[in-house]
Formats: sequence, C-alpha cells, structure tokens
Amino acid sequence: MILAEGISKTHRRNDGAPVHALRNVSISISAGEFVAIRGASGSGKSSLLNILGCLDRPTVGSYRLAGEDVSSYSDRSLARIRNKKIGFVFQTFQLLPRTTAVENVEIPMVYSGGRVDRRRALQALERVGLGARARHFAAELSGGEQQRVAIARALINDPALILADEPTGNLDFAASTEIMRIFKELHTDGRTIVMVTHDESIAAHAGRQIVLSDGAVIQDAAICAEAQQQ
Amino acid sequence: MKSVEQCKQGLRAVVRFRRRSVFMMAGVVIGVATLSVLNSIGENTRRDTVKRVKNMLGTFDTVMVRPGGKTRGMVSLSNVDPSLRFEDAAAIAREIAGVKQVARLQNAFDVDVTYRDQQISPAVFGVSDNWLALRGDEVEQGSFISAEDDRKMVRVAVIGSDVCKNLFPQESPIGKTIRIGGVPFEVKGVLASRGAGPAGASLDNIVIIPVSTASRRLFNRDFLTMIIAQVKDPGDSTRVAAAISQLLRERHQLAAGMLDDFNITDPKAVLAQLTKVNSTLTMTLRGVAFLAMFGGGVVIMALMTLGVSERRREIGLRRSVGANRGDILFQFLFEAFIVASLGGFFGAAASWGGVEAVAAYQKLPAVFDQESLFASIALAAVIGVVFGSYPAWKASRVDPVAALRS
Repeated sequence: MILAEGISKTHRRNDGAPVHALRNVSISISAGEFVAIRGASGSGKSSLLNILGCLDRPTVGSYRLAGEDVSSYSDRSLARIRNKKIGFVFQTFQLLPRTTAVENVEIPMVYSGGRVDRRRALQALERVGLGARARHFAAELSGGEQQRVAIARALINDPALILADEPTGNLDFAASTEIMRIFKELHTDGRTIVMVTHDESIAAHAGRQIVLSDGAVIQDAAICAEAQQQ
Repeated sequence: MKSVEQCKQGLRAVVRFRRRSVFMMAGVVIGVATLSVLNSIGENTRRDTVKRVKNMLGTFDTVMVRPGGKTRGMVSLSNVDPSLRFEDAAAIAREIAGVKQVARLQNAFDVDVTYRDQQISPAVFGVSDNWLALRGDEVEQGSFISAEDDRKMVRVAVIGSDVCKNLFPQESPIGKTIRIGGVPFEVKGVLASRGAGPAGASLDNIVIIPVSTASRRLFNRDFLTMIIAQVKDPGDSTRVAAAISQLLRERHQLAAGMLDDFNITDPKAVLAQLTKVNSTLTMTLRGVAFLAMFGGGVVIMALMTLGVSERRREIGLRRSVGANRGDILFQFLFEAFIVASLGGFFGAAASWGGVEAVAAYQKLPAVFDQESLFASIALAAVIGVVFGSYPAWKASRVDPVAALRS
C-alpha cells in the first residue's frame, strides 16, 4: 500500500536556516494494516503524515502509493489521489461550522466529478451513528459527534487509506473510546489506517507502532497480541 | 458536473457569509445605481437641450440673420445696428435658391402692455404673417396675423400664454383692446405655450403684432432685428447660409476684407455646438459613474481578501479532500461573480427609484432604457470577476498543510 524510501523533508526558516523535519525515513505499510506513528511533538510525525497523504511532497526520496509513484505528481493529480484514495481525520475535526453535518460529509463528493449524492452522505452518517443529527450545524455537535462526522466525510468516497492526525487529541475518554471502536471496525473491514498520536494507550489499539524522534524512525515494531490485550 | 457542484458550494458560501456578502454587494449596488442615475441625468439633459434649441430655432430648417457684427444673446430694437432692411428680406426671398419663405421680425423688450389696470412688460414682436408656420407654433384661441393685417398695418395682436394668464385671468381675451406702449391693439389670438428657451426663460411672455404695424405705427423704425429664412431642404441650410451671406455683403456694399455687418446662424452649427457640450457632460457623468463602479470593485476585493484569510481552514480542508488549486480559484471567482451580479441587479432596482426621483426633480420624464440597465448588470458581473481574481488567486495559493495546522 505504502512504500516510502529515503524520504527527507527540509523547511527553511525565515532566517534561511534549514530545519530537517524528516531525515531519510523509509516505511513500508501493507494493505489492511493499522499503524500508529508515535513521537514527541516536533519529531516529524505530522510532516510524515502530510507526505503520506499527498498534501505535501518530500524534498528527497520516493513515495509509492498503491503502486503509483506520486513523488513527482502535479497538484491536479495529487488532488485526485487525495479525493479517491485517501480519507483524512484531523485532531481539530476541520468541519465547516455553519454548515450542516450532512453537507460537511458531502464536500469530498463535490470534487469527484459526479453528482453529490445526498443519500450516500446520510448512509455514511448512519454508519457512524449520527443519522439523527444529519441536519444539525457542525457547531451544534459535541466534539465526539464532530469527529464522527469527520470520519463519515473521510469514508464517503470509499478510500483504501485512512490517515488520522491525533484523532482523539481533543476528545474526552468516552468519545476517544468510541472513535477507536469505529477505527477498529474500519480496520476489520480491510481498510489501511495510519494514525499519528503521542498517546501510548491510543497507539496500543494499532497493530504496529512506528516511533519517530527528531525526524528519523527509531523503532518500528508489530505489537504482540498479548500487549494489545493489556 | 464538478463545476455545477462547485457553484452550489459557492452559493452556499455566499449565504453562509451573508453579512460580508451584503457589504460586498453594497459597493456594487451604489456603483450601478450611480451609473444609472447619472446616465439618466445626462440623457434627460441632452433631450431637454435639444428641445430648448428646437424652441428657439423652430423646426431646425431656419437660417437666422441678425444685424450687427458679432451679436450675441437676444436682439432688440434698442441694441442692434440699423443695417438689416426690409428690402434685404425681400431680396433673400427673391434671389436665393432653396429658400422656401422668409419671415421678417422687428422686436423690442420691456414694452409696457396694459389692459384696464393690469400692466406687464413682455417682449413685443412685429412679425410677418408666415411667422407661425415657420416657427411651428400653434394658435390656441382665435387666429394669427394675416397677410392683409400686415399689408394694411392693422393694429391687431396675438398674445403668448403667459401674457394671456396675466392680463386676462378670468375672461376671454379675444376682441379685447390692449395698449402696447400706449397704442391700442385688438387681441386677435392666443398662442399655445412653448415652454422655456435655451437660457431657461419663458418663451410665452410675448405679444405679436404685424411687422408693418410695428415699424410704422409703434416703434417708428425702418430696420429689422431679424430675418428668418426657411430652407426647403434642412440638409441644405449651410449652403443657403453662405449664399445669404454673400448676397447681403453685396447689398450692403462691403468691400473684401471688411467685416460683416450682420451675422447668420446655421441651425446645424448650433446643434453641433450643443451636442458637443452635451457629450462633454455625458463623458464626465460616465467617468464619475465608472469611478463609483471601481469603488464597488475595490470593496469586493478588500472584503474577499480578508475573507480568504478568515477561511484558510476551509480552503485547507477542501484541498485535503480533493480540491486542486484551480477548484479553489473557481469557487472564489464564482462567489465574487454571484455577489457582484446580485449587487448589479439590486443596484438596477434601486436606480429605478433614483431615476424617477431625479426626473421628478428635473421636471422631465424619466429616462430608463433597458439596454443600459442590462449593460450595468453585466458591467457589475465583470467588475466582480476582475476584482475577485486577486483574492481568488490568493485563495488558490494557500498552503493546505499550514492552513490545516492553524
């Protein structure tokens, strides 16, 4: 599914000094895996996720997504890949506040080339248990509900890859548990999930953990069933 | 299909940010309303000027000859040279080809005219009997001066509507005797109202008598204040004016190099002059209106640019779910287009009231042509796209990674 080789990302600060967000990162993720990327803040995990999500391009290195080398793709092609193959879930939900839940879920369909299908959007909301709240404005929903709307939006174009950036970072324990339950369900359905978190207990839900520090991979290990039980 | 869905997104954004949309519209509304109202003022003024010139020149087919070198303004017996004779008028009628008829005029202002205890000071015009037809005037009551009245120097008068109102507020003036400079005249007819002349003064404060009567029995002057030659073909007026000029120079025995002792007004030249003044006015008004439209465009640009910074997260989100730069550009351009077009529409509606108000103030019929209305709505839309292109371009350049983090 994901094959990243020798990826580096270098920003330039305002004074011109280079900042190395990622240094020579190589990752391979198979279809159907549930991977957690951990690391302290500033370790480069969000930079990595942005590159994996085709929102950003690596300075050096190659990235193959589902067999396509996307590291040299144009803005237009990358947008199409984000639309069809990737679903994003953000820490801050990123819903349009003065827009209803169902209209938020419909937004990816706007850029798919077809008609916006209201029925499909409602089904996606039902799937995350929010069928009854479809006509509410996003701002009227609780944090947990907003994140579920965001998940419904990520799923609307049936992408193979779900990328989540601290999906429970702004949620209480109960809501976090609910979100992780949905993620596990998606994983069981066969979707590939890559989730960035700094929370070990949340990372423990994943089948594999990659730990970054200072822009480099320092640990990449499958978690044994026993550890997951705890 | 994608663009249709994107237009819907744009419309929703216009509604979602309705307050900003209204402010954006306001600038365009003012611009379009200004354009329409100023356009209407210009058009009204133009029509009014043409009407007044017509009042003065009659039917645009008359060449006016006045005595004196460079006479300006209204002539009168008291302020002209005695160079224009009755015989000159006869010679013009006789010798110039293309002249239909020639009217003679001898006039004076501020002559005391009394009826019983009422006294007014209108203009008194001694005219030949063909004056009426030549001017395109109408007699409302009674009849006009006849050829016989002129030949026999009869003391009859035809009065303008203002004179009639002032001297005969209650009764019919026909057959009554008025005194003009102390000389009794019988009122024979009343002219229909003509309205204002080019200077704005009323053309109805007038008493008309036969020119021979005026010359011999009232003013005791044997020269004319004006000769009016009506041409057969209005397109021919310039040639006729030149021919008259040549004839009069011969008759007045002016040697080459000497200045004319008369001056000739070609109606075409007058109209051209006035049209020039008018087009300057129209251009100025258009310029002001265009500035107002430009202001509306700047408002759109400013508010949208602010809107783009406020909507960075929305832009980032749209990019992350599959919008490319072109999609973002298109959406914001469409929003500007829609808001400006609506502004144009409301501006047109508002200007309807404005035009009526201005017309009422100018005391002229409202000028409201559909063509310029549609043109101003279209112009509003163009302004939206032109001034929306900078913020839309800025929106398309927003870095999604940075926008989502903010």
